[in-house]
Amino acid sequence: MTDLPDRITLNEWDRRYAELSRAGLREPDYGGCLRRHVDDGDTRLLSLRMDNSAASLRLWNFLLTEEDRLRKAREEGKLLVGTLKDLGTVPVMVYSMKNAVAFYPDGAWWIPCIMERNAKLLEIADSLGIDDSFCPVRAMLGAFVSQAHFPIPDLLICSVGATCDDLSAIAQRLDAMGHPVHWWEIPFRRAPDPGEESVALPGIFLAPHDQVAFVRKELERVREILQDRAGLALSDADLAAGIGRANRVRSLLDRLRETVFAASPAPLPALEMLIAEMLAIHFCSDQNECMAVLESLLAEATKRAGAGVGPLPEDAARIFWVNPVADLRVMNMLEDAGGRVCGTEYLFSHALDRIPEGIVPMEALARAALADPMAGSPVDRAERICHDIGRFGAEAVVVSSIPGASHCALEGTIIGDIVRRRLALPILEIEVPPITDSQEPTLRTRLEALVETARSRRAGIP
Amino acid sequence: MIVAGIDAGSRTIKVVLLDGETLTVLGAGVVDQGIEQEALAERLLQDVLENAGIRRDDVAAMVATGYGRKLIHAADTQITEISCQAVGVSHCLPGARTVIDIGGQDSKFLQLLPSGRVSDFAMNDRCAAGTGRFLETAAAQLGVRVAEFGEMAGRSAEAAQISSMCVVFAETEIVGLLAQGCTAEDIAAGIQASIAQRIGCMGGLKATPPVVFTGGVALVPTMGSALSAALGHPVTVAPEPQLTCALGAAIMAARRIDASSDSE
Repeated sequence: MTDLPDRITLNEWDRRYAELSRAGLREPDYGGCLRRHVDDGDTRLLSLRMDNSAASLRLWNFLLTEEDRLRKAREEGKLLVGTLKDLGTVPVMVYSMKNAVAFYPDGAWWIPCIMERNAKLLEIADSLGIDDSFCPVRAMLGAFVSQAHFPIPDLLICSVGATCDDLSAIAQRLDAMGHPVHWWEIPFRRAPDPGEESVALPGIFLAPHDQVAFVRKELERVREILQDRAGLALSDADLAAGIGRANRVRSLLDRLRETVFAASPAPLPALEMLIAEMLAIHFCSDQNECMAVLESLLAEATKRAGAGVGPLPEDAARIFWVNPVADLRVMNMLEDAGGRVCGTEYLFSHALDRIPEGIVPMEALARAALADPMAGSPVDRAERICHDIGRFGAEAVVVSSIPGASHCALEGTIIGDIVRRRLALPILEIEVPPITDSQEPTLRTRLEALVETARSRRAGIP
Repeated sequence: MIVAGIDAGSRTIKVVLLDGETLTVLGAGVVDQGIEQEALAERLLQDVLENAGIRRDDVAAMVATGYGRKLIHAADTQITEISCQAVGVSHCLPGARTVIDIGGQDSKFLQLLPSGRVSDFAMNDRCAAGTGRFLETAAAQLGVRVAEFGEMAGRSAEAAQISSMCVVFAETEIVGLLAQGCTAEDIAAGIQASIAQRIGCMGGLKATPPVVFTGGVALVPTMGSALSAALGHPVTVAPEPQLTCALGAAIMAARRIDASSDSE
């Protein structure tokens, strides 16, 4: 058995799994061969190339068994809270309670990719009047109708205001379908006026004190709803402990990003890093196991970085990636083209920043919520992206957009303009629908051209 | 040392044979694309070699580029049309800072560094808006061939306003304009202007002069002046604009030989 890092297909994973098992692989209860997920309908796995480490196996199994954990939580009588749109604030509150589990029903937007339309979720959304002019998050409506992908939550909490218009429309449709949604408002973040009292947010922004106070009041309302439905108090002490646990996840992720993005060759591929980052939003329905998965990935990445090995070539072009992709295969395509990801801004950078500790917990959460890149202007997002490109270094940038997602329509061009002007890096804008097969040749050409352009800018290469 | 570049585009295949040391063009050819892409490319290469009196064995290196580049297995390597176009244009017109390439199925906007290397680029998305295909459809609807389309546009008194960028919607719009009594000449000029405007703002890139126009659509008379009006800069149509990408591929083949002999 070789332990050399590689990106392997599902068929190769069958053999790899047998090898790892023979070598004494120890797995959690959700472990097993990845093949079983294909048998359950996750057919896109057959088109992906995945990292060959045991840590990545654990990550994939953790991701693809979330539904089982949610059903178990339901059986155990825990409160199931669907947190819509909000990426990383309300779940921290929910996981501060002993008898509650949060999950992210909007995450169903990946089902049409993972299951390659076998689930027919988009077709159900079409029939409900939410067609493909909306974001693929509309797949969530199909999942609520079919009830085949997650148990129907006991409580739905959705942020509105400075959020995507289409997500709001989809959540309103859900509400009208008999799944009542509790709304809380996140205002459009503005820069403090001269002389106005301001508050430093996690990350790089300031916000007016009044806006933070408003969000805090909104989150207090959410706390009351949670307490009421759970029949338990959610004290400041509970919240402080919950924030501490969330920060442990964020800190692990930060170290993982630092290790992977800074090392050459990249110790882990972009696909596994994308999934790992997504864990920060809602912990994949098990906060402790989420930490264990990240620790395992970090150990693998550290080991590989120390040995100077990785699944990608050392001269891979360093690419900063903006926005998550609807089709996971596109991350493979970048690497097939000779690139590697060395920095990301997947629309939830606020969920990666540490939540302030040592202050009143609700104040801390309000500041974290207001740091959401989507609560501010695209110019702010570009600012953060330029900042993070500086942190990790990049030779080119991909701005990936999601068809139908209202925020993507103009944002990509604005971000591209600013990054281009500020850092003079080549920028590639692409649109990635849930299944990209029909566009694969043109997508590959663009990604290859970006890699060639980045490499040709290196001195000495003709 | 003889080198070859093959540009397997969406509508045509182009081959350029080059003396790899002097970078003199020894032969070139263009053939319509088809289903048997690799066989068509191979046949074209053979024809060009025969016409130039060169044996196949004498070709020391070959680079394939274009939409169908991965199908040209005889090539030593494949390089995208973005890189090849930049090299080809910089060879023909040194100092070019912007390249607009409009091919059969896609269009590209390249920004070049003073050295001729690509600094940034944009390509059109999935649809045919702003491509040769758009022009072909419009020409067919106006009852002319693409070759005559530019001349027809040149006779326009006042370009019609074409608001649709989608081929399908533009067809409907053309029918409507004809019904309103708009002349075919004005519609043709309006279509050229709408393509040029679309290219002019592609990907948020800004044109820096000198601007060079390449691709099959550059052969359409008056398209260059429509682009020039949209960009606000003079536009130079590259010599043999259909062949610059294949030429760039051939030059890349020569450079690869140089690089490998340097490293030995």
